[in-house]
Amino acid sequence: MLQSYIQALGILLQPANFLVMYVCALVGCVLGAIPGLSGGLGITLILPMTFAMSTEISFAMLVGMYVGGVSGSFIAAVLVGIPGSASSIGTCYDGYPMTKKGQAAKALSIGITGSFIGTFVSIIVAMLCSGAIADIALKLGPWEYFSLCLMAITMVVGLSNGSIFKGLLSAFIGFFLAMIGADKVTNQLRFTFGNTNLYGGINMVCLLMGTFALQQVATAYAKGQQDMPPVDTSSLKGFGLTIKDFISNAKTIIVSLVIGLFIGFLPGMGSGISNLIAYGQAKKMDKHPEKFGTGYEPGVWATEVSNNAGVGGALIPMISLGIPGDGTTVLLLSAMTIKGLTAGPMFIKTNPVLAALIFLIVLVSAILIFFTELGTKRWFPYLLKAPYHYLFSAIMMICFMGSFSATTSMFSVFLMIGFGLLGVIMDMFGMPMTPLMLSFILGPKIEEYFRTGCSYARGDLTRFITRPISLIFILIAVYSVVGPIITKAIKNRRAAK
Amino acid sequence: MGAICLVLAAWIVWQTSQVPQRLVANEPGPRFFPYVSAAGIAVFAILSMIFDAPKENQKGVKPYLDKAGWIRLVVIIAEAVLFALGMQFIGFWLTAMIGMFVFIITLKGQKKINLIFAVLLCVGLGSLCYFGFTRGFHIPLPKGTLWDAIGIAMP
Repeated sequence: MLQSYIQALGILLQPANFLVMYVCALVGCVLGAIPGLSGGLGITLILPMTFAMSTEISFAMLVGMYVGGVSGSFIAAVLVGIPGSASSIGTCYDGYPMTKKGQAAKALSIGITGSFIGTFVSIIVAMLCSGAIADIALKLGPWEYFSLCLMAITMVVGLSNGSIFKGLLSAFIGFFLAMIGADKVTNQLRFTFGNTNLYGGINMVCLLMGTFALQQVATAYAKGQQDMPPVDTSSLKGFGLTIKDFISNAKTIIVSLVIGLFIGFLPGMGSGISNLIAYGQAKKMDKHPEKFGTGYEPGVWATEVSNNAGVGGALIPMISLGIPGDGTTVLLLSAMTIKGLTAGPMFIKTNPVLAALIFLIVLVSAILIFFTELGTKRWFPYLLKAPYHYLFSAIMMICFMGSFSATTSMFSVFLMIGFGLLGVIMDMFGMPMTPLMLSFILGPKIEEYFRTGCSYARGDLTRFITRPISLIFILIAVYSVVGPIITKAIKNRRAAK
Repeated sequence: MGAICLVLAAWIVWQTSQVPQRLVANEPGPRFFPYVSAAGIAVFAILSMIFDAPKENQKGVKPYLDKAGWIRLVVIIAEAVLFALGMQFIGFWLTAMIGMFVFIITLKGQKKINLIFAVLLCVGLGSLCYFGFTRGFHIPLPKGTLWDAIGIAMP
């Protein structure tokens, strides 16, 4: 195996491969930073270009773009409170308030370092334990996946600020939105009203653009919040973090890393989910959960470490099982197929150098992106110096462009405006947006796993609670909702006494 | 909000009952989860009305927006709708430039801006995005149905 890595390193260090990987990682980083665009979009765009290229240079481009895209998505979340992609939704909650408090540079340093730690450690784990971890995933059935998805939603609802009932209401609205289109089991159309644009369901980009970007610009303008937060220029140079920052957040970093890695390697569960679960977990185990959402550093550490840890996690099932870990690895898997390669249990044995090369590209891209972002970090906060009217006008224009290009249909653009209105209404009634987003992402999976689980068990619903791992997930799910209510009731009773 | 959610839940139930029930052996079928979502919306809307509304009333209801705020909200949403309509009829390139300029004028409020810079920014960024996408990335953006109708070929 070591020989394969040495050979792969030799291929990677060839000037053309190295340069292409670096450039693509940078482009991915920029695309990831722009709301509505992503590294996934970049991979889609360059995929046709790789047809005529060698396998090595193709993967240098595609994997470099993937790493850059995930790494860069925190920049917009920290600076303007709009996630570059779903993987940075949680970063908005504390990253943007830190910016508002004048700590943009520190929030960026945490984002850069957290992203690097997440990617670096996860890919090392992937390199070392790829086979063993994939074996665990193979043992999970639809029952466990259903329970896991359910647990993910209830954890986020239980830990969201404000009323738990409003959180659950928001989750069920998201769940309903996820039901629109053809169902995954029988392909039956639901709530489409004959509109072909809805056959494939509601596009995620439209929902993100509407509920985050348009809603934020509209409510900020309506509330008269026209001034951008001040830029903290005192710590723009250097690393920006001290050893103390690492030590005090070590527990959050390690737990988020494990969550990101675990969620990442489960098929279909990407960094869009792991960052929210890690955020919820960090809040739960912190001594000051009330500080989350107010610009609290562990919130940014948790989301950025976990979403980037998903990179290594997602590559494990892709390479060793041929199952994509997330949406972007679906594209990488397509690229493998185009190149005549079959990902699966035999891939590492039949293509050891290429498997090693993919892991090394992630590793080297992460290192290059880390130093590049650190070196250019001082210029990121200057985005905030761009006057509000210029910055948000440009964001609005890019959102319209992003919504259209997601499906090349005007329907998506009008849908985005509709979701912008929904976001305003929910903001008006104090309903959290995260449960809606999470249940929208997980809704189709929950339905698919539940129905296939029922079918496999011949209608026996007890299978969901008789399988130990599934039972554990369900118990955590129930506790996530009931626990805070009971704790609150006990506190109220004690206070009354 | 609770009442709106109850109406939404009732509508989901009615619409779901129209969905043909194609059953695969031993599974609940395509109607099951829409019913679950409707039930969830109804139950938690009611619980929110029972438990949250009295607390919010006790705290004293602070208006979400004042009158001027509502007007601003309507204006920005109307501009977004016009932007979308503009994309469809006169295409993305022109709409991006004009629409961005309108957004800048709206969002600047009482602040003074350099109009020449604003125009140059709108033309530059609008053109960069349009040609970058359509020519660079080969991602189509709307050219505008109006130009097709009158026989003008837009780039």
